[in-house]
Formats: sequence, C-alpha cells, structure tokens
Amino acid sequence: MAKVYDAIVVGSGMTGGWAAKELTEHGLDTLVLEAGRPITPAVDYVEHVPVWEKRFRGLRDRNAQLANQPIQRECYACDEWSSKFFVDDHENPYTTEPDAPFLWLRGRQVGGRSIMWGRQVYRWSDLDFEANLRDGIAVDWPIRYADLAPWYDHVEEFVGISGEPLGLPQLPDGKFLPPMELNCVERVVREALAKRFGRERVLTIGRVAILTQNHLGRAACHYCGNCERGCVTLSYFNSINSTLPAAQRTGKLTLRPYSVARSLMYDKKRTRVTGVRVVDAQTKHDIEFHGRIIFLCASTLESARLLLLSATPELPNGLANSSGQVGRNLMDHVMGGGARGRIDGNLDKTDTGRRPNGIYVPRFRNLRDGPKSPFLRGYGYQGGGDREHWGRGVDQAGFGADFKRAMRDPGPWHFSLYGFGECLPNHDNYAELDKTKTDAYGIPVLKINCRFGENERAILKDASIAAAEMLAAAGAHDINPFVENNPPGKTIHEMGTARMGRDPKTSVLNGWNQAWDIPNLFITDGACMASSACQNPSITYMALTARAADHAVELLKRREL
Amino acid sequence: MDRRDALRLFSATAALPAVPDLLVLGRRLHERLTARPALRTLDPHQNATVTAVADRILPATDTPGATAARVNEFIDLLLTEWTPQEARARFLAGLADLDARARAAFGKAFVDGGEADQVRLLIVLEDEALRLKEQPGPHPEPFFRTIKYLTMYGYYTSEIGAKQELHFEIIPGRYVPCTPLSAASGPPGGD
Repeated sequence: MAKVYDAIVVGSGMTGGWAAKELTEHGLDTLVLEAGRPITPAVDYVEHVPVWEKRFRGLRDRNAQLANQPIQRECYACDEWSSKFFVDDHENPYTTEPDAPFLWLRGRQVGGRSIMWGRQVYRWSDLDFEANLRDGIAVDWPIRYADLAPWYDHVEEFVGISGEPLGLPQLPDGKFLPPMELNCVERVVREALAKRFGRERVLTIGRVAILTQNHLGRAACHYCGNCERGCVTLSYFNSINSTLPAAQRTGKLTLRPYSVARSLMYDKKRTRVTGVRVVDAQTKHDIEFHGRIIFLCASTLESARLLLLSATPELPNGLANSSGQVGRNLMDHVMGGGARGRIDGNLDKTDTGRRPNGIYVPRFRNLRDGPKSPFLRGYGYQGGGDREHWGRGVDQAGFGADFKRAMRDPGPWHFSLYGFGECLPNHDNYAELDKTKTDAYGIPVLKINCRFGENERAILKDASIAAAEMLAAAGAHDINPFVENNPPGKTIHEMGTARMGRDPKTSVLNGWNQAWDIPNLFITDGACMASSACQNPSITYMALTARAADHAVELLKRREL
Repeated sequence: MDRRDALRLFSATAALPAVPDLLVLGRRLHERLTARPALRTLDPHQNATVTAVADRILPATDTPGATAARVNEFIDLLLTEWTPQEARARFLAGLADLDARARAAFGKAFVDGGEADQVRLLIVLEDEALRLKEQPGPHPEPFFRTIKYLTMYGYYTSEIGAKQELHFEIIPGRYVPCTPLSAASGPPGGD
C-alpha cells in the first residue's frame, strides 16, 4: 500500500517553506513537492562574483536571453548572475491576447522566487481588509487585521525584519530589528517633507527581510548589494536560508525536487483531495503521492492552474470551483508613477557600502479620516537618494586625463520616488486553461487575460504628480515626473485567483484559506487574496500560511478533516 | 598561457646549451605571456584604431588606462556576440569614417596621427555628437558616443577599472550612510 503523508505541500518558495516549517513543527509527516531543481548555496549563490568575471560584464547574454527567456528578461533581476533562477520560457509557456500582454515572471527551483524576491515587508491594516466592503467591490475579506496580527508577529520574529516603527494606522509596525540608515540626502528630504506635510507624508527607511544584526543563526548583512544573487551568510530571508532548514530539523520533512504537479486526486464521495499526481521532470514518468491534507503554495497562477487541471467528469470546471471564481480576479500592483530630481549640496559627502534597500513613503491617499481622491485606494513609494557615477560622463563633454580624474568622484545627488499602487479586483481579469498548448511536461498551459483599468491609471498619474510636488518641497531641481506603461505581471505581485471570502457562492476559500468545497485543501499563496492593497504582499502570504497551517493542525486533531 | 606553461618555458631555458640568446628568449617569453585571445570581429587595423581611441578617452594616468584594461577586447566580444547586426555595421562604418576624416585632417590613418592630431579630431566628433543630441527626433547613435560608452563601460567594469580606479570592494562589510567623500573607499551603487 502506498505511503500516505500527513500533509503534502505543493511548492517550496515563500509560502511552501512556511507551510513545511509549521506543519512539520506540529509533528506532521510532510512531503514538499517542488517542480524545479535543488539549489546548493555553495555552488548556486553568486553574489560575490565580481562584474569583471562575467562574460558580458553585467550587460547580460543578450542573444541567449532573446532565445530562451524573452519574457523573463523583462525582470530587472534576471541578469547575468541570476537568470539561472528564472524559467526557460519555451519549457514553460503561457498565452495572452495580443492586445493584453501579461508578464509572468517565474522561478522554478527549491526556494522558488523567494531567492530573488525584493525583500520589502509591509503589514496590511484594516484600511486594506475593509476596503472591498467599504467600496462595494468584489467580496469582503473574511478576516480583519486583528485576526492576522499575531501571525504577522509570529512570522516576523522568525524572518528578521529591519525597519523603523512609525505608529501609523495605515501601516502597522512590526517586530523590527534596528533599521538600516538613511543616507545624507534621504535625511534632507525626510526633514523637508516633515516640514511641508507633517505626519501626512512620512519618509522612512524600507522595512526589509534583511538582518541588521545576527538573528537565529543567520549573520547580519555585509552590504555587498545584490541579494537576488543569493547570500552565503543567509542575511536575507528566503526559504532555503530559513524555513526549509527549520522543517528539515524536525526530521519530518521529505523534500522532492523535479516534481511537476499535474493534478490533484479527488475522492468525490468524501469530497476530499487524496494526493497529487506528479510528472518527474527528469524521467518524465508519472508518480502519485498521497496525503491527508494538501497545501497549495505553488504561486498565484500555478495553484489556480492546478485546480483547473484537476477537473473531473463531475467537476468539469475544476476542483474547488463551485463558485466559478478559480482563475478570476487576477491582480498585480500597478507601478511606475513617480518623479526624479537633483538635490544640490552635500557634494563633500557620500555613502559607502551597498545598502540593498531604499526608502518608503507609506500610503497617504484615501485614508480613513482624510480627504478623498477621485480614485479608489492608494499607493506607496519606494526610492531613495543616490549620487551619479561614472555613467554620467558618457553624455558630458570631455575625455582624456582630466575627464578620467573627474569621473573618479561621484556626481550630484538625485532623489527618486517610484509609486506602487493598488489594483482593484476585477472579474474580467482571469486565467483559464489554453487547451491548444502544453508545456515541456505535456501539461496544458494557462491563457492569461488581464488588463489594468481606469482606477490603476488614475493612481499612477496621481503618484507622478504627488512625487513631483514632494521633490519640489524638498528643493529638488530638474524634476522629471514620469508615468510608465508597464504590463500587468511586471511588478511580480500577482494575486487573487482563488480568493478568500465569506460566502461559498462567491469565493473559493474561507477565512482559514480552506477550500469551501474541499475541507482538506488549503491554498495560502497569493491566489487567496480578495484585494491587493498597495503594500508588497509576501509577508501577508507568510502570515496567512502560518495561520492556516495552525488551523489545519487543529482540525486534524479534532478529526474534522 | 597559464603559470604552468610559463614555468615549463623557464625550465626549457635551463636545459639549453651554452650561450643562449637570453634577450630573444626573454622577448619570446614576454610575447607568449601577454598573448591576447584572437579577435573575432575587428581586423588588426580596426583593433589598433579602437585601442587608440579608447586610450585617448581613458589614458593611463596615476592609474592604468583603457589599453591596460583591454577595453578593445571587450568591444570585440560585444561586437561579435552581443551587438545587433545593424549596430555592428554602424560601428565598423564609424571606424572607417574616422580614418577618412583623419586623412582629410592630417593626411594619415587615425592610428598613425600624433596625439594632438587625434585629440583634435575626436573633439570635432564629440561636438557633432553633442549637437545631434540637442536635435529633436530619433537618430542613430553617433559613433563617438558609441565608442565612448563602450570604452567607459569596458574600463569601469574591468578588474583594473573597478579596483584601481574606483576602489570597488566586493564585501564592504558595513554601510556608512553619510561620510566625507575623501574618506570613502569607492563610489556608491553599481555592481
């Protein structure tokens, strides 16, 4: 008789690592299925390989990327060091309408995208959890901040977040390690904004999952600057550095790489999932694994795809899809409204070390008690102050010995504000199976239909105008406001394809990330999100995963699964 | 040639019979030790021209310049494995045009001109490039800007440029947010 695991987790990245840690620490015999290859930090982490050792010196292998990663190359992190952490687009295709491009930027390996993530960490507040109810949009979240706050504490204490407490209701403080420091010009801008906007618009250092002091056996950051290439001192959080080793230490973890989930097995009499059908990526053979509960942590789009792929004659629309909402309400943060300007002065000062973090300006539009904007929801800014380097010389007059000497010192200071805005849930933004096309494992691919709407465009425009206004208040010169036209997906915050809700008729998951239709199926990656807020989402996924795992264990103990 | 080859060559000299021409031997050894990989796009004359222009842009001063950093080899690599065909053709045409203008200005190919002649001609090209930037509408990148960019990129991302010129540290170990420029060990940001 085949082995039956207590739990199967599909995916080993940001949320899969957390599910593995929490479930094994509760004593569950847990199998983690990962589609991609294993990662060996000693070999695969390349953050200290200097630019002169790379063949194209950081300009990337242009022809190889055009041939193999025409989509992944759109990501800033898919460079000569880290492109190996991104998928081959021909092995992992998807389709879109010609007039609706969507960038699906993916990592398939143990650790998933937690290896290359941006590491920014911001809690949600009730301004976010109540937003759909307040605006009469989509469905109300079945949880509030009070439900999640202890789980934010729980994951943050383990992850190690550096940041500054601000006491702002729209951006709750967390369990912070000492913050990284603002550089000379960031301090100047912070003071100028405080003078002009008071507590309305606050500039703080980014809250990041990067250690500023040693923490739980991981070392403080050494400021080499490129976390997305890995970190041999384990100073930033990813599942390989942190959660998977914790799961391993319990002796209860079985981690199986090269395991591409093809579908879930379903017992229609008991309305329970019983296991996962997998294609072994190396042998291309099918294998079945059995478990008492299943956590889908395969990423927003992969988890939805797996539910759709698991359709049966009785359930032709896929598993856990009696609401018809699986694949629907796909969101991604809209980004790229902002401004940049020159800040004169401080030419005798600089910063040293490469701080892998910038500034953050929390949302200040449409707060609970403030004035209302002509659009819904809001945005926050990332950005920071920097001095020009030698690159400025390309378009300046001059060459020769004096020019070379002048390029040795940095140029003027500049300051950038780059907005990340909320995306409204929209039933017409969805992913479905494209039965005309299969991936390298013979599995039907997704067709993604997703467009930003008027509200997202209005947010970007406002973010640009307000950024210019703030730079002017900081005394900047040559202010250059911009509004980028990025396709959805590019922010890599895609979410919403199996939303939580209060009603099984209109949502896929209940308030515990548990499928309404299938009690032993939990989905805790970005698919579960009922709205997007404007904060970087990973810490919320992590907190939801830990909370759901705890609940699943309770239900197992009560024999309710 | 690696260190082991060099040692083998040295031990060969030790085995030589009486009165070896040590000078010739030494020169051959030097040539072999400093041998450059074969260029794949630039012919010898084009390579000499690129090397000369790069050296006028970033000469050796109190630190080594573009020639020591082998910027010409980096440019040849990009032209061969990176640059789209149209841009490659434009670059090579730019080199030919540089020679034509050198002949018109001082009666020789660019590489055969004196330093002052070369600099004067490059200033003319630079002025044209900067003026073109002021013109509205899209236009192909002028040759001078292309070679200046490639020279600067190749130099500052070379080990010589990054370490000796910019004092780049792979592991800074700490972040100092606001420090006198004179105390800084290198520039902010970058790879």
